[in-house]
Amino acid sequence: MTQEFARTLAEISADCGRQVGVLVARSGRVEYVMVGDALVFENPNDAKELLSSFRNDPHLLAACVYDRNGHLFAAYPDDAAADSFPKLPAASGVRFVGPNVTFFQPVLDKGRLLGTVYLKSDLREMSQQLRLFALVAGFVVLGSIGVALALSLVLQRRIAQPILSLADTARMIAEKRDYSLRAASMSDDELGLLTDSFNEMLNEIERRDSLLRESEAGLRAILESALDAIITMDHQGRIIEFNPAAEKAFGYARSQAVGADAVELTLPHAFRQKHRQEMSARATTERTVQFGRRDEMAAMRSDGSEFPVELAATRIPRDGPPRFAWFVRDITERKRAEREIRQLNEELELRVVERTSQLEAANKELEGFSYSVSHDLRAPLRAIGGFSQILIDERGATLDDEGRRILKVIRDNTVRMGNLIDDLLAFSRMGRTAMRVKRLDMTHLARTVAGELTAASNLPNVDVTVGDLPAAHGDLSTLRQVWVNLISNAVKYSGTRNPATIEISGRTEAEEHIYSVKDNGVGFDMRYAGKLFGVFQRLHAASEFEGTGVGLALVQRIVHRHGGRIWAEAKPDEGATFHFALPNENAHPPGAVRTTSPKEEMTHA
Amino acid sequence: MHDPQDTEILLVEDNADDAELTLRALKKHNLANKVHHVKDGAEALEFLFGTGTYASRGGGFVPKVVLLDLKLPKVDGMEVLRRIKGDERTRDIPVVILTSSREDRDIIEGYKLGVNSYVQKPVQFDRFVEAVAQLGLYWMVLNQARRHEEHATT
Repeated sequence: MTQEFARTLAEISADCGRQVGVLVARSGRVEYVMVGDALVFENPNDAKELLSSFRNDPHLLAACVYDRNGHLFAAYPDDAAADSFPKLPAASGVRFVGPNVTFFQPVLDKGRLLGTVYLKSDLREMSQQLRLFALVAGFVVLGSIGVALALSLVLQRRIAQPILSLADTARMIAEKRDYSLRAASMSDDELGLLTDSFNEMLNEIERRDSLLRESEAGLRAILESALDAIITMDHQGRIIEFNPAAEKAFGYARSQAVGADAVELTLPHAFRQKHRQEMSARATTERTVQFGRRDEMAAMRSDGSEFPVELAATRIPRDGPPRFAWFVRDITERKRAEREIRQLNEELELRVVERTSQLEAANKELEGFSYSVSHDLRAPLRAIGGFSQILIDERGATLDDEGRRILKVIRDNTVRMGNLIDDLLAFSRMGRTAMRVKRLDMTHLARTVAGELTAASNLPNVDVTVGDLPAAHGDLSTLRQVWVNLISNAVKYSGTRNPATIEISGRTEAEEHIYSVKDNGVGFDMRYAGKLFGVFQRLHAASEFEGTGVGLALVQRIVHRHGGRIWAEAKPDEGATFHFALPNENAHPPGAVRTTSPKEEMTHA
Repeated sequence: MHDPQDTEILLVEDNADDAELTLRALKKHNLANKVHHVKDGAEALEFLFGTGTYASRGGGFVPKVVLLDLKLPKVDGMEVLRRIKGDERTRDIPVVILTSSREDRDIIEGYKLGVNSYVQKPVQFDRFVEAVAQLGLYWMVLNQARRHEEHATT
């Protein structure tokens, strides 16, 4: 402060000197030429005259002009002693001499020195000025201090406060972890901006925090609501998390379980060693996240009881030692169900075996029955037929006509019964014998059968036409039987017509080939169509048309065994059409022809 | 009954009616006097191998053809067939199965065992006569011819 003040004072005095100089210079300039002229013309009076003009300046104590040789040329005031002036002019400039200030100014004319002007002024004015300066400086200093104080107050209010408030908010947030707090914004300058940014940051933190919380809550909810027991543990197997399902499954409270050794707590002795080894192996290797598959094993409850579980162990990699998670599912119920299913299966199998043997027995019985029928029923019939024939042959002459007629009735009926037995046996055999399925040229088959039958029927007026029939997949001998029965039926029931026309045709539908036999015979009433295919069901009296009532039943059985279907349409006296359909190669498996295994074939063959 | 030594046809039939019908059928073709009739399988085997009732003779009889029913008491027809075809002494005798059965399994079994013919006894007598006669004759004649051949070659 003092230094500065001294510097200020020096500047001020220098300034004063300059002002003196300037003053002189100004006067000089006004009268410069005149002084110069006075010097050139060596006219000291003129110079004196000029100097006397300083009279009005009370501070100017003395002034003089030196010639170019440094001799006093003119002086002011007039009465001043010659020795009150310096003997020789000094170098130009301002000098402080005691309380006064002196000033030398050379007078030059185009670089040529003409003389020197000397001025001596007291410093009273300057002192006054200095005092004023000092006063002003004092005020300035005081004012500055005041302003500084005011500024600091203002600044404290406007800068420090918001920053402190920011700091406070930050501290509170750190303490309470409450990211909903906000710093108050006080202005809209840079500090306001800073506060806003801080708040913005808080917003972001709060948003992330809530997201984090949400995600954690979600994860926790999963953990809490999972039906599987979930146990997480550190790399040494100490339990970290133990969810409610685990509490329920193992019988420990979470608080009891956390920190305990998972293997020790939940696994029976038999599994502990193996699992520890597994875990320590997995603790160091980064090879895989998954331990492996779900293992079925036993787990142990808090009461020591064991129960079957499915345990999946996973490794949770993280910075530092990994953690492990177990997902444990209580499979007691499933095991029980499996056991039940197994038991049921076994029972079912037993039952199947039992039923199969029953069926086999029944089948055997049936076979035995039909064998007996075939063998034993025919023997007496043969005797009746044979001996009545012999009677006719050998004793016929001794009988009258009526006797011979009666014998003929007996013989005819034995033949009829023989046929019945044969048909019935064929029908029962159809269900038991194996079919050899192969591709069959149905056109050729139908033609052959029709040819044989018309030739045998001795009916010249029967006209059979066979169209192009689609090839079939089936068993030759049984399908041949179908054609035989259907065509012979048609021949039989249209035999009274002249001509009797029989049309055999075929077509292919989406999943089946359809074959039809149409005649112009006596037909039948569709009301009785349902009885057509029943065994021993007949729509005509035996006296009208011969037949055993087995033929169509046999046909239906054969068609069904081929996975096909059969139906008829007719009108009385307008003929009948029989259709049968066999599945073709586009048919779905259920409709497919049932083939028999070689074994079955052997048994029935 | 004729001398078993002259037997050309061995008829194995337990049913008396069937036997009579068969004999009558054979008679129609003048074959009846050379037929030996046995009523069960056991007797048939005794006749063929010279055992039991036929042991005194010290050897079996070799008929030209055997007409064999399948359903027989004691030893059934299939067994008789198996024994005939399983023995060197009788293997060459033609065997014709005469049966009521139309069961495939009998037919197949019979052919497996080496039966020479299989005839289903028809209900109608005239057809029965025809069938029996034809087959009996066929095999008798064939067998005769073969024996002659054998004699000729030896």
